[in-house]
Amino acid sequence: MELNGEQLIAAPIPDVWRGLNDIDVLAKSIPGCEEISRVSPAEVHAKVMFKIGPVRARFSGKLLLSDIIPDHSCSMAFEGSGGAAGFAKGRSRVELKATEGGTLVSYTTEAAIGGKLGQIGGRLISASAKKIADDFFQRFAKELGGEAIALESSSGGE
Amino acid sequence: MKAAAFDYVKPKALSDALFLLKQGGDDAQLIAGGQTLLATLNMRLSEPSILIDITDLAELKGISVEGDKLRMGALVTHTEIEDSDLVAKHTPLLKAAAPHIAHRAIRNLGTWGGSLAYGDPAAEWPACSLTLQATMVIQGPQGERKISAKDFFIDLYTTSLEPDEILVATEIPLAKSNQVFYFHELARRHGDYAVAGLAAVADKQGQVLTNCAFTFFSVSSTPVVATAAQDLINGQFLNDQVIAKAVEAAREEIDAIADITNSAEAKTHLIGVLLERGLKHLIA
Repeated sequence: MELNGEQLIAAPIPDVWRGLNDIDVLAKSIPGCEEISRVSPAEVHAKVMFKIGPVRARFSGKLLLSDIIPDHSCSMAFEGSGGAAGFAKGRSRVELKATEGGTLVSYTTEAAIGGKLGQIGGRLISASAKKIADDFFQRFAKELGGEAIALESSSGGE
Repeated sequence: MKAAAFDYVKPKALSDALFLLKQGGDDAQLIAGGQTLLATLNMRLSEPSILIDITDLAELKGISVEGDKLRMGALVTHTEIEDSDLVAKHTPLLKAAAPHIAHRAIRNLGTWGGSLAYGDPAAEWPACSLTLQATMVIQGPQGERKISAKDFFIDLYTTSLEPDEILVATEIPLAKSNQVFYFHELARRHGDYAVAGLAAVADKQGQVLTNCAFTFFSVSSTPVVATAAQDLINGQFLNDQVIAKAVEAAREEIDAIADITNSAEAKTHLIGVLLERGLKHLIA
């Protein structure tokens, strides 16, 4: 599955970058986040209650950051396991650009979902991923004291 | 697989159900027909600690005509809708739609309210309730509130229902004598989730349609009303050029989202196919 999008956040780049790297901000921005901790500068562990439609499963996962260019971009690899419900893993790349009215955040994500979640949730997995991403940016922008404007987001199968 | 252990209660009064729901909070889950929920529990995609069975609640039952509205209780099953004379007479779109829902065995148990509250973008009833400009009747700790279908469906599997509220019934305006309707969905096999579907009504006078309501489902995160296409059709003498313009407008205005087997492009194409067939059917 692929998920790509662009969001305009009404805050300057350094604030957005700091926010994306601040686990307290992330904890409040990730929908259903119950626990988050930074085990090393490039590794974050989290527990997330994933609630969407038929699914209500607790995922524990980790996030590995790489290619970090402060105030500009980073890549991340993530994997999470939801016990009987299934698992998700993938890669994402995030880029920040200064623009009129704030910061343009663009992201590309590739993810694979397996287990029961893949079988049952598969039909609407793209729409689900898009909803979670949109929710995240809404909350994230609010944490930074602004509003997120989704400029474009698209998702595709596979 | 089997479901994880859970408690089960079957209150007799709506007030008891509301109390239990509030008390149970996040761990409580309402169950009526259970046609989606039970599969989910057995797959352990969710593990509520208590199920509140609402099938004894009298306020949620029955189909009746009250003034210029048809009141559809939340517990009315798909089969009851399919077989109801009141539905056939006053909301014929619903009768046409019912056979498209899964299979008879599922329709015997699955409910009107369950389908609405769940908010699956591929489901028939959310789309029909938008097309028919229905009003949801909701009970919560603060009493009753009503909300129109267009404000009820917010996002993927997300409605304006609060966690401590119960959908009690839906009020649907009765069809006028000149109302025409069209319901169709394109699916690989009968009973499957549609690749794309259309629930449409309009008032017809000769070759002219007014008060058009075209709702597409299974194409996005929620059912989508094609307002630009409606505006192009309303009050116009329908010919091939007008239909072609409306088809183009509908494809343009709806931002289709892919599902696991069908691309957004395929869905966008099918939106136009459905609308063209629908319009030709409506003026036939």
